[in-house]
Amino acid sequence: MADEPRGAAGEQPEGDDLSRALGSLRREIRARFPAPRAPVPRRAGPGAELDWGAVFADVRRRIATLGMSERSGEVDEFGMDEVVVDRLRPLLGLLFEHWFRVDLAGVEALPERGPALLVANHSGLLPWDGLMLSHAIERFHPEHERSRFLVADWLITLPFVQPYLARLGGVRACRENAERLLDAGRFVIAFPEGVKGAAKVFRERYRVKRFGRGGVVRVALETGVPLVPVGIVGAEEAHPLLFKWSTPARAVGLPFVPVTPTFPWLGALGAVPLPTKWVIRIGEPLALDHLAPDAGADELLVSRLTEELRSRVQSLVDVALAERESIWA
Amino acid sequence: MAAPGVIAVTGLGTFLGRGLVERLLARSPHLRVVGLDHKRPFRMDGRVRFHRVDLTEPTADGRIAEVLERERVEAVVHTAFRSEPTADLELDHEIETIGSLHVMHACSAAKVKRLVVASSTMLYGPRPDNPNFLSESHPLRGHPDAHCVRNRVEMESLLADWRMRHPDTEVTVLRHGWIMGPSVWSRVTRYFSLPIVPMVLGYDPLLQFVHEEDCLHAFERAVLAPNPGVYNVVGPGVAPLSTLLRLAGKRILALPAAVLYRMAYYPSQAQTGDPPAAFYDYLRWLWIADGARGFDAFGEPVYTTKEAWISFVSERRMRRYR
Repeated sequence: MADEPRGAAGEQPEGDDLSRALGSLRREIRARFPAPRAPVPRRAGPGAELDWGAVFADVRRRIATLGMSERSGEVDEFGMDEVVVDRLRPLLGLLFEHWFRVDLAGVEALPERGPALLVANHSGLLPWDGLMLSHAIERFHPEHERSRFLVADWLITLPFVQPYLARLGGVRACRENAERLLDAGRFVIAFPEGVKGAAKVFRERYRVKRFGRGGVVRVALETGVPLVPVGIVGAEEAHPLLFKWSTPARAVGLPFVPVTPTFPWLGALGAVPLPTKWVIRIGEPLALDHLAPDAGADELLVSRLTEELRSRVQSLVDVALAERESIWA
Repeated sequence: MAAPGVIAVTGLGTFLGRGLVERLLARSPHLRVVGLDHKRPFRMDGRVRFHRVDLTEPTADGRIAEVLERERVEAVVHTAFRSEPTADLELDHEIETIGSLHVMHACSAAKVKRLVVASSTMLYGPRPDNPNFLSESHPLRGHPDAHCVRNRVEMESLLADWRMRHPDTEVTVLRHGWIMGPSVWSRVTRYFSLPIVPMVLGYDPLLQFVHEEDCLHAFERAVLAPNPGVYNVVGPGVAPLSTLLRLAGKRILALPAAVLYRMAYYPSQAQTGDPPAAFYDYLRWLWIADGARGFDAFGEPVYTTKEAWISFVSERRMRRYR
């Protein structure tokens, strides 16, 4: 605070006595009560001694705040932080444009404004697909709204992962959360394959698995929102799962430990996705308007609609696969 | 039933009981307030008609019924719950569960028209599989290690039974979140007042507080106007734990769960009779309650979660620098 450009009150229109008085008051308050700041280690110049105490204090602060010390702390009710999102947006844009070179089509099929429930195929243990899809919608949809993606239990409750995912707009996948988000008029991205989708080994790639127990369709029927199928191609090869290693998984509470060409061999570097070519296809919404809101009680109808939705996602994936020349281009 | 003329408050020495009595006497001078507790409070308004009742006695229900009938009490507010868990597990059960049962029996014997019971959103329990917002109809799963929460879950199920058998009594259950404010002092505020605050490494849960004034306001409205049912009494908005601690200028000690729980085992057992998970799990998983129903019934709270926290922090700081 103390190092802010002086004369902030000078920007106020001249003659506005009240604001000038307030500005001088604010300056005086700042001068008398400087905001407490954590010590920042000065960069060691040539000939300067490295201050190990300050470095240690900084490292300890960073560990204690999980590396998120510059976030704003203004979160919405699901824990998303606009400042963190703003800071990470260039990185996500870089991934979207240059790393995955996402080929996106069908944004115009989305409704003009929320709520809508997007249903996509899932792959990979890290939610790159959710992040890329929400980034795509934010960037290319006329409303530029940031959509929320639903994350499976075991991932959103993992230490270190949980705070970051929540700040970026990840929400635990459950019915109450989805309904609350849709009632607030948001775009919600669901991956109804769940762990089965994340746990697909490489030779099973792009075969869309069973869609849970029909919860997605039931939520859409009850809230009366359109269901939009989405096919995502490229995420499977970003972390190609060679096989699942279950022995050490029990100790850390994971469903399995993934073995990919880069993980666990390269350690944390294994979390970097391979630069595969991505194709995202957004399909036409599934019409549910002609059904009554209590149609969710009809189990056979729900399972038929769920299977129809699954086959639509599968056909979008198949089309996208055919359009892509190779994994890398 | 319209506004009652005589109100009895159990647990006059607790924060809620004392605050509610002060509030009722200040705002409704025509009201007669009867106070029950196991010992006379150190400071008490002269207008309160005090009766000494020990809820752990086997015949406490008869004694309370006698008092309620003699004073012609129309509404009872039951706040005689411990704000801090005791290491004496048996005593805790006697007060929280059996004591509440005594109060319920006395209310039915004295034909009290309205019963307001203080409960807590802690009863939902911190669970990784909780939805982000818990409504009043969510099952009370508690925490397997926390005996005080377990006893109060049992109390609520006894109360639900009792309510079915006595439909002519209006029962209001107010589940309040963690109370923050200048004058409240509990296990939670004690934890946040530590010079170095330990937290679980890798977790940064969203927390929710209610300001003491808003909480007392909800209790006042519940006892003066008919609002039968269960309500969450919480402040609007949520805030991450790390943000709150940073706002307070606290030093954080983040330890892995296994290390923290092992280190805090013996102090926690000695103080509360529970392993540390009974408290620190509330700083690890989500247990935010949806307050919309309470806002509709008792009005929107004045303080948000963050404002309640700032109110608490500024008071504590002033004390330190005084």
